[in-house]
Amino acid sequence: MNTEGAFLPDIVAFCCAHSAYPAADSAGYLRIPYPENIRVIRVPCAGRVDVLHILKAFEKGADGILVLGCHEEACRHISGNIRAKSRVQKANTLLEESGIDGERVEMLTLAQNQGPKFAQIASEMNERIKGLGPSPVKPRV
Amino acid sequence: MDNSLRLGVFLCDCGNTMSKTIDFSAIKAKLERLDDIEYVAISHDLCLIKAQEAMQKDIRDRGINRVVVAACSPELHEHTFMNVLQRAGVNPHLLSMANIREQCFWTHPHKEKAAEKAMVQIVLAINRARLLEPVEKAEIPVNQDVLIVGGGIVGTEAAIELSHLNLKTTLIEKEAALGGKLNLFASLYPLQITPEEVLASKLKQVTESPNIDVLTSAELIDVRGQAGNFVARIKRGDEEFVRNFGAVILATGYDAQFASQLYGFETSTSIVTLSQLEEMLKSPAEIKKIPRNVGFITDVSDEHSRISTLSALRNALGVKEKFGSEVCILCKNLKVDGAGLEKLYHDCRNRGVIFLKFDKPPKISEEDGEIHIQVEDVLMPGEQMALSCDLLVVEEMVIPPSDSETLRSILDIGLDPQGFYQDNNIHLYPTFSNREGIFFAGNCHADLDLIRALTEASNVALSAYRLLAQGRVTIEAENVMIDPSKCRFCLTCIRACPHNAIREVQVDHEKRVAQIVDLACQGCGICTAVCPAKAIRFKDWSDDQILAELELVGAYL
Repeated sequence: MNTEGAFLPDIVAFCCAHSAYPAADSAGYLRIPYPENIRVIRVPCAGRVDVLHILKAFEKGADGILVLGCHEEACRHISGNIRAKSRVQKANTLLEESGIDGERVEMLTLAQNQGPKFAQIASEMNERIKGLGPSPVKPRV
Repeated sequence: MDNSLRLGVFLCDCGNTMSKTIDFSAIKAKLERLDDIEYVAISHDLCLIKAQEAMQKDIRDRGINRVVVAACSPELHEHTFMNVLQRAGVNPHLLSMANIREQCFWTHPHKEKAAEKAMVQIVLAINRARLLEPVEKAEIPVNQDVLIVGGGIVGTEAAIELSHLNLKTTLIEKEAALGGKLNLFASLYPLQITPEEVLASKLKQVTESPNIDVLTSAELIDVRGQAGNFVARIKRGDEEFVRNFGAVILATGYDAQFASQLYGFETSTSIVTLSQLEEMLKSPAEIKKIPRNVGFITDVSDEHSRISTLSALRNALGVKEKFGSEVCILCKNLKVDGAGLEKLYHDCRNRGVIFLKFDKPPKISEEDGEIHIQVEDVLMPGEQMALSCDLLVVEEMVIPPSDSETLRSILDIGLDPQGFYQDNNIHLYPTFSNREGIFFAGNCHADLDLIRALTEASNVALSAYRLLAQGRVTIEAENVMIDPSKCRFCLTCIRACPHNAIREVQVDHEKRVAQIVDLACQGCGICTAVCPAKAIRFKDWSDDQILAELELVGAYL
């Protein structure tokens, strides 16, 4: 909720347990701050993330969504990251059709030790969504 | 039986470090007001045995049937706490963790916001805990025999290692004799041993071992089944037979090919490839004219290969020893990152081998059997050096063996962009394929020198041993499960599974459905996400559990 008047987006990051989730941990080890409004959700593989999860997240009030998986050709489950990418594209199209900016969802890749990169991605996403404003389907409280 | 939820929440302040900034007793008080909470405990060191014993006792005494741990990252201690649950008599999958250290206190400097976020994460973990399902363990029998494809030094070594571990192996080789590339090598510098001696000792061990069955001039035609129970058809001459194996090891090596398009010339009597030079060095008596000056060119292409560099250094020493010629090695960059390779390089220098580093490929011309080389050394920019030699040795590209495509389709495994076998994950599982029970060793999947390749042979033997040694494997039964009543057998999951862990089964004479093979499943959940009928249930990561973590969006700000 934004109590101070300024818009603080709610961002959900689906993080692969083999790469992006340890990367988020690594940001913690290195004490690199990133915005508190990033909700990290651990998934066994980026390929587990369904279009349904992305759409539901918007329904529940998310303003932006990150799907973070392993680097290409380094996926623990071979093709999970590629599948995630195509699902994110599909979600983009569906969102655009329903009047939600497709830029609110993005798929990026990380390695386990890229804590600083995780923090950077989180902060950049935060800035971008701040620019876009609240999601048009965000439930009013 | 009482099926009601009895949740136990265990908070850990990580040796009092987190309690300096947050009031754990306030969190405890808030949590105790939530539904179904049986017990909330604050600990300072849940990662220590003593605290775990107390936790185990609490779970047992209070009849807790869902456990929430709010502490460090599940990457660190999820397994630890699953073991605690197991010991306390609760199914280990009924654990939910909230990462309040790495992803809260350590990363968010604003203490109040961090505390609020931690509270939300704990509540979400509690909500997720309500939706958890137990996953039972089961034991399934596995066949203990191993099939090794490729009778080169790596395959042979793996067979010997497995025979020491008392596992039976069938070693199949497409050529008439074992040994592979080692038969062609003239030397094994920096090792003080000849390839013939190595092969003789290995072959002796193979023939003496009752556990190794060697099939030469044989090829693999078909493999069906899954880890622990592969059915392989092998063809040898006109006969064809079927054998059962628990695991398959691929050690099919590499091929070498001269890439003339890279150099702009073809080989001739005065320009030979490294393999041709090895032949000359093996039988120096047959050479009409001993070359006085020998030049080597390596890494003209950017695809730098460790095998080629090693081979150039090895044979430069061989030329020095057998022919006594002057030797010059033209290279872009030497990669001497292996046991003994730095020494090999120094040995070359000490024996008088000259190294020249180029940036632009040298210009080569041939005249009356003399090779003229024009090259610019990186240390003397702008100066063209002219060299001549009567034998020029060019490196070869390391390419996948000709049968890798066939074996790929037989075994349903992946190839990397260069056409070598694709490791499951090069950093985490360097000898594992994408399929459980199929392993790679040696140069068929990576660019390795001999010592590294032999290490891999031992590594892969242990991987196979770990899978098969007991004759049975404990698996997590039906963690991912396809509901046969919902499955329309559209094949989507079978095509999508990266580990080939889904097979078709006949329910009755009309209906066929897809079924997960528990031993082969590696739990990625891709099938669960792709199934159009939503017939696949992943107990550890169900849709409900993932969606539960989306609740309370916006709650912490």
